[in-house]
Amino acid sequence: MKTLKLKKSLVALTSAALVSVFAVAIPSTANAVTTCVQEAITVNGKNVDYEKCTGTDFRGSKYEIRMPSKFNGTMMLYSHGIRYNVDLPPIPVVAPTGLARNFAPEIAPTQEVGELLLSQGFALAGAGVQIQGWNVTEQVYAALEVNAIARDKYSKIDKVVAWGNSLGALSTQALAEQYSGLFDAVGAMCYSDSALSEITMAGDFLWGVKTFFDPTIKLAGYSAGTAGYLEMLGDIGKVLVVFQSIEAAITANPISPTWPATSTVPAALKALPVRSAVLMLGLMSGISTQSTTFDASSGPAGALETGFGLLINPALAVLENGSTAALLGVVAGYDLEQRAGGIIFDNSNTDYVARLGADADTYAAALSGQSLGIAGMGAYLNRLNPAAPRVKSDPAAVAKIKQIYEPKGAITVPTITITATADQVTPPGATQYLIDQYTSAVSGGSATKGMLVNIWNKPADEYTKFSATGSPIKPTVATNGTTHCNFTTSQYMAIAKLLGASAKSGKAPTASAVNAAIKNDPNLFVDANYRAPLLKYRQ
Amino acid sequence: MIRNTRMKRLSIVSALVAAGSMLVSSVPALAADPGVTATEIKLGITSPKTGTVALSYGKLPRAMKAYFDYINDNGGVYGRKIKLISRDDKYLPQLAATQTRNLVLSDKVFAIVGALGTATHSKAYVAAQLAKNNVPDLFVNTGFSGFDDKAKYPTTFLVLPSYAMEAKIIAKLIADTPTMKPMPSFLIAQDDEFGKDGVKGFALAGHKFTSNPTLYPQGSLTAALAESLLSGVNAAVPAAAKPVMVLMGTTDSTALILKAAEKLSLTSRFTWIAGSVGGDANTLLALGVKPATIEGAYAASFFPDAKDSTDAYVSQFMKINEKYNKGDSFDNVVLQGMNSAMLTVQSLRAAGKNLTRAGLIKAIESKGAGFASAGLAPLNYSATSRVGYNGYWFGQLNAKGELKPVGGKVTLYTTDSTSTAAPVLSSFTRKPLPKNGIPTNQ
Repeated sequence: MKTLKLKKSLVALTSAALVSVFAVAIPSTANAVTTCVQEAITVNGKNVDYEKCTGTDFRGSKYEIRMPSKFNGTMMLYSHGIRYNVDLPPIPVVAPTGLARNFAPEIAPTQEVGELLLSQGFALAGAGVQIQGWNVTEQVYAALEVNAIARDKYSKIDKVVAWGNSLGALSTQALAEQYSGLFDAVGAMCYSDSALSEITMAGDFLWGVKTFFDPTIKLAGYSAGTAGYLEMLGDIGKVLVVFQSIEAAITANPISPTWPATSTVPAALKALPVRSAVLMLGLMSGISTQSTTFDASSGPAGALETGFGLLINPALAVLENGSTAALLGVVAGYDLEQRAGGIIFDNSNTDYVARLGADADTYAAALSGQSLGIAGMGAYLNRLNPAAPRVKSDPAAVAKIKQIYEPKGAITVPTITITATADQVTPPGATQYLIDQYTSAVSGGSATKGMLVNIWNKPADEYTKFSATGSPIKPTVATNGTTHCNFTTSQYMAIAKLLGASAKSGKAPTASAVNAAIKNDPNLFVDANYRAPLLKYRQ
Repeated sequence: MIRNTRMKRLSIVSALVAAGSMLVSSVPALAADPGVTATEIKLGITSPKTGTVALSYGKLPRAMKAYFDYINDNGGVYGRKIKLISRDDKYLPQLAATQTRNLVLSDKVFAIVGALGTATHSKAYVAAQLAKNNVPDLFVNTGFSGFDDKAKYPTTFLVLPSYAMEAKIIAKLIADTPTMKPMPSFLIAQDDEFGKDGVKGFALAGHKFTSNPTLYPQGSLTAALAESLLSGVNAAVPAAAKPVMVLMGTTDSTALILKAAEKLSLTSRFTWIAGSVGGDANTLLALGVKPATIEGAYAASFFPDAKDSTDAYVSQFMKINEKYNKGDSFDNVVLQGMNSAMLTVQSLRAAGKNLTRAGLIKAIESKGAGFASAGLAPLNYSATSRVGYNGYWFGQLNAKGELKPVGGKVTLYTTDSTSTAAPVLSSFTRKPLPKNGIPTNQ
């Protein structure tokens, strides 16, 4: 008992010391003006009263804190995922009614999750960072601010769980590693890899789209100011046209769909079905072959069942996922260039055929064969082909991006990840990289053994549905285990519950506790031996 | 007092240990690995049970289960019954990966047996982390020689001879057959590891085809393409010649090509050589190829003919099939399934009563080459080799689908997948069938 008390006071001291160190480095939070109101909601028939406090920190990040009247002692500090750092005019599919930059604070992954957590007595907090885009550094500061403000205002906060989605998960991990004494547990959901890893994945795919389907796509080296912004918007439009064209071609003739009219590849390459080209781009850049509609296996009942599953389904999954990746390549690539002052993406030495690895064998048929398909497409994508010019990054810009803190796996408090195996934006390899870093850090003594628990979220074995005429049916609700950060409320709540318990105990949940938490969810699994492929940048 | 208590505790512990020892001596020890209890061994297989490929290979898991049921009815393996969990992968890589992971993670099988297909199983092996979990991966039904890479597939044991071996032996058949040797020769093969392995084998044998091999992606061969290929060769070769046409693809592809030949009235224009994977006569006939078309076609095998009920193994397996697998006609796939099941039983026995995954792998390495089996070629398992059978004999199909050995007598050649050494006439004599087909590993 004595030891416990001592430990607790040490943590408090350490936290206070870190806060004061931080306060030296960064202006005090005292200037922030917090406005509080009393609110009440009804959750599952139960009245939940809480105090809602909002404000803007000294850097301009908005924040929000909700403190329930029946507080359980733990605050969940949430960091949101990436948001566009540009306003978008109305663009079909992407932003049908236009999109203004969003600086609103987020206190939980979803409203429903937030309300449930409040009803269970958790306090909630989060920021809306003043600079959007790839804002790890700014997000770390914003989270620190809101944490300090909340602790200042509510001395009854005993434990703090830092958690976040996507880029917010990366920021949360960066936060926890740099300020480890401040947090009692960490939740990293749909964890993102570093800027260079992510932009390599999106950039490789986008470069492939440009090279195969529309060489007028700019891809990189956007001009400064309005001209660059318009170039970026132009790229979005071109990418959409390409994808719509390919989708129409596959719908018209799934076996031998034709290439978009904007493609300038030689006729010999156009003799291949364009679905093989799409799959090639997906595999070489690391885009999942499972999407919300397509499971990489199913086919419509009848003679085409196996052929569709083998040849067409994986390509359609890449097409469905790839539109997100390509748009990420455009918008995030543009943002990073503006942020760093030069080109970030670099494929000047990439061997795309080698990138396929074992997938060259696995998907040989869908790629139209090893010699004709893979070798043929590979030759065109080869860096020596003048028709497929490569992109060279600006070293100074890359150096600037590398200055952004990257997690090192130095995990010292209970940390739980949840990762979909078919997330097309933050593939499971991002979490795998964190696991590998953690393993090394434990060996090196900079991390504490037994603190990391990884929960994987897979889609059902087969889930593609077909109409009576054999057309694939897009689900109205995104398939769990696919799509970016597509967790259910019960999955989020299971993680939150485990995090809350870990924050209190100081220990990662036991295997039996995790199994009990996920036992009713057929899509979640824990397997210490499961290994996701790293992002291509890391391979 | 304290001492007394300690002594008392010690004596209780000793008694428990002694009681435990007695238990251990009477029933098989409980192993730490998943899938094994005192009464059961859980094995798993993924293979196409539905979809278009199921017609060719759907019988495999049922045949294996039938043999295991037969063994279970005869005492099991050291008192343990074998339970085979069969999952459908439709011959699709992603589904094979998912189902194999399900077998390991959800079903908690002790070992994988008889998984089928190259692209499917290579993806499944990695996705299910069979190496890291040390899951024995027994008697994989693919001839891709790459699975013999112990560093990459440390728990895998092949059973089929490799496609490269097969190609080398086909090259020898062509070279040794006076009616084929001087003729133009052509190869139509899958454009993947299967075909690539075959092309490698022909290159090792020094065989040069008249034109570059025609490679097609699996699942992409159409009737129109097959007709175009055959028409092209027909036009290019003088009418007086009878070109040799080697087919290295799955049975449905062989059927497409033969049916194209029927349509073009070119069935007798070529000497057909079908690789072992695509040359199963029963399946070809079931796929609509005319009996007259397959008559005279050359096919390879390392087994006795599945229709030869005078063969002791075939006869025993037929009886088991009759009783335990009602509804499935006996053919090469059933023969293959039962034979792999018999090898599995011997492997489990060889691993001993205290069954572990590591022990099973070691047992096959040390004793697998001596297992009884229906194969007419030797098994090549050792500490350094994961190769199963390494030889083939050639026969000609008749209209009934029987494979009759060339020259009236089975002449089997053995070889390897990597050297230019010529295939060697085998003097191997297989072990006699264990009594009633129940291995005792004697």
